[in-house]
Amino acid sequence: MKGLHAVGVYHVYGDNKVLDNASLMIPAGEVVCLLGPSGSGKTTLLRLAAGLERLQRGRIVIDDEIVADKNTHVPPEHRGIGLMFQDYALFPHLNIIDNVTFGLFDQSKDKANHRAMDMLEQLGMTKHAESHPHMLSGGQQQRVALARALAPKPKVLLLDEPFSGLDTNLRGQIREDTLSVLKASGVATIMVTHDPEEAMFMADRIKILGDNGKILQAGRPHEIYYHPRHEFVAKLFGMMNRFEGVVEDGSVEIPLGLIRADSLGEGRKVEVLVRPEGVILEIDGKAGTPVDVVSTHLLGHDNLVRVRLKNDTAGEFQGKELYVRVHHTFEPELSKQITAGLDPEYAFVFPLDEHGSIAGDGFTGSQSQAAE
Amino acid sequence: MVELTSSFKLEFEVLDKDHQNLADIVDQIVSVIDNGEAEKCPDLVKGFVQSAKAHFAREEALLIKAGYPNVEKHKGHHKGLSTKMDHLIEFANMAGENEMARDSLRKELVFFLMDDVITTDMEFKNFIEDKAKTEDS
Repeated sequence: MKGLHAVGVYHVYGDNKVLDNASLMIPAGEVVCLLGPSGSGKTTLLRLAAGLERLQRGRIVIDDEIVADKNTHVPPEHRGIGLMFQDYALFPHLNIIDNVTFGLFDQSKDKANHRAMDMLEQLGMTKHAESHPHMLSGGQQQRVALARALAPKPKVLLLDEPFSGLDTNLRGQIREDTLSVLKASGVATIMVTHDPEEAMFMADRIKILGDNGKILQAGRPHEIYYHPRHEFVAKLFGMMNRFEGVVEDGSVEIPLGLIRADSLGEGRKVEVLVRPEGVILEIDGKAGTPVDVVSTHLLGHDNLVRVRLKNDTAGEFQGKELYVRVHHTFEPELSKQITAGLDPEYAFVFPLDEHGSIAGDGFTGSQSQAAE
Repeated sequence: MVELTSSFKLEFEVLDKDHQNLADIVDQIVSVIDNGEAEKCPDLVKGFVQSAKAHFAREEALLIKAGYPNVEKHKGHHKGLSTKMDHLIEFANMAGENEMARDSLRKELVFFLMDDVITTDMEFKNFIEDKAKTEDS
């Protein structure tokens, strides 16, 4: 099947096991983002796919051809891959058109120029064809780097933090343009990033890597965000409100409400993580637990509100502070009572062992419906 | 078309046959989508999910019998795919009227089969090969 197929990939640097039996499949035309912390092996996986590192164990197949296994190491230039790094690596002494035609050495000059201009046009860069890299902005250099990577019509495109050098305002537009060009090209793309939002925007599928390149979860962005199966995955997408509780009568009670946890045994200690948007604030609300507003922070479209559970809240949660994400129009009136409730879709339950450590896969509060 | 080329073969006949059967159903689903007959998706996807579950059960039984040391982990992986299968059925139910659902269904079926099922099964390929060699000698 067309695309990239990596199976059972191990890699060690000295005593440091960077990848441990990592596998993935990226069909042609799809974008897969590898998301994980520094040291999770995502760049190593990219370098092995590219042939920049020699594979120690496993197999890498591109468009049904083995490019790396215990007997094979096809050099990078013969793998049909395009590479783009965060520093773009444009040749400073060459103008833009020569940068883009650099990988087209097997074509006539006319044909190579035609292909390069075609790519530059797709990325809105034709007027800069005669410029040198230092004359371009970071965003323009990124577009040239993408044009150069795609010009030889690679089977697989490998992107390593391609937007990290760009400022926030520019990043959104360039991400959108890049995705559109990638989809039009039909190339199988792996993008390494440590930015969850970027992965959510770009990817058809996100692979979350933990220690030693262990793939913790793979799925559509929606699935990863709303159905994280690991505490690490849940926490990767921003701050969380954390509670501990015990399963009683098939539910776990936190001050915001009851969450069904009937798939876990009675008396099981659990951790409940609630995203800030899963806390529902109501002014003069009848349901929910009373809270005091501590501070509000306008984040543009949203307001991040810090609240404190009132002292009449039961037991260990008295005075606990929570983060709540609400629409920017929400303005707490200090004279009125504010209550906090729960949207179970944003609440995740993870079993704990007797030492308080995570002891298995979690599930979303909405999977078994919130208790009344 | 989903083509199970050599890198997707476990070289374990029963399981390879299961994978091929699942690939054939995916092809059938993609084909009805392409032919404007997406209203047939719900039944086909239900069949796909049933076949996938039957495959998981067969595979788990075989791995237990063979003494595969990571069988509990693999069972956990299968269990974790239930949400994905629910989503496949949801997409299929909407596929008749919604282009985005059709696109998502097509994409997810391929990822589910090729990445979540077959590529993950490759984790025990070495074990099967080693076991076969031991038994031969």
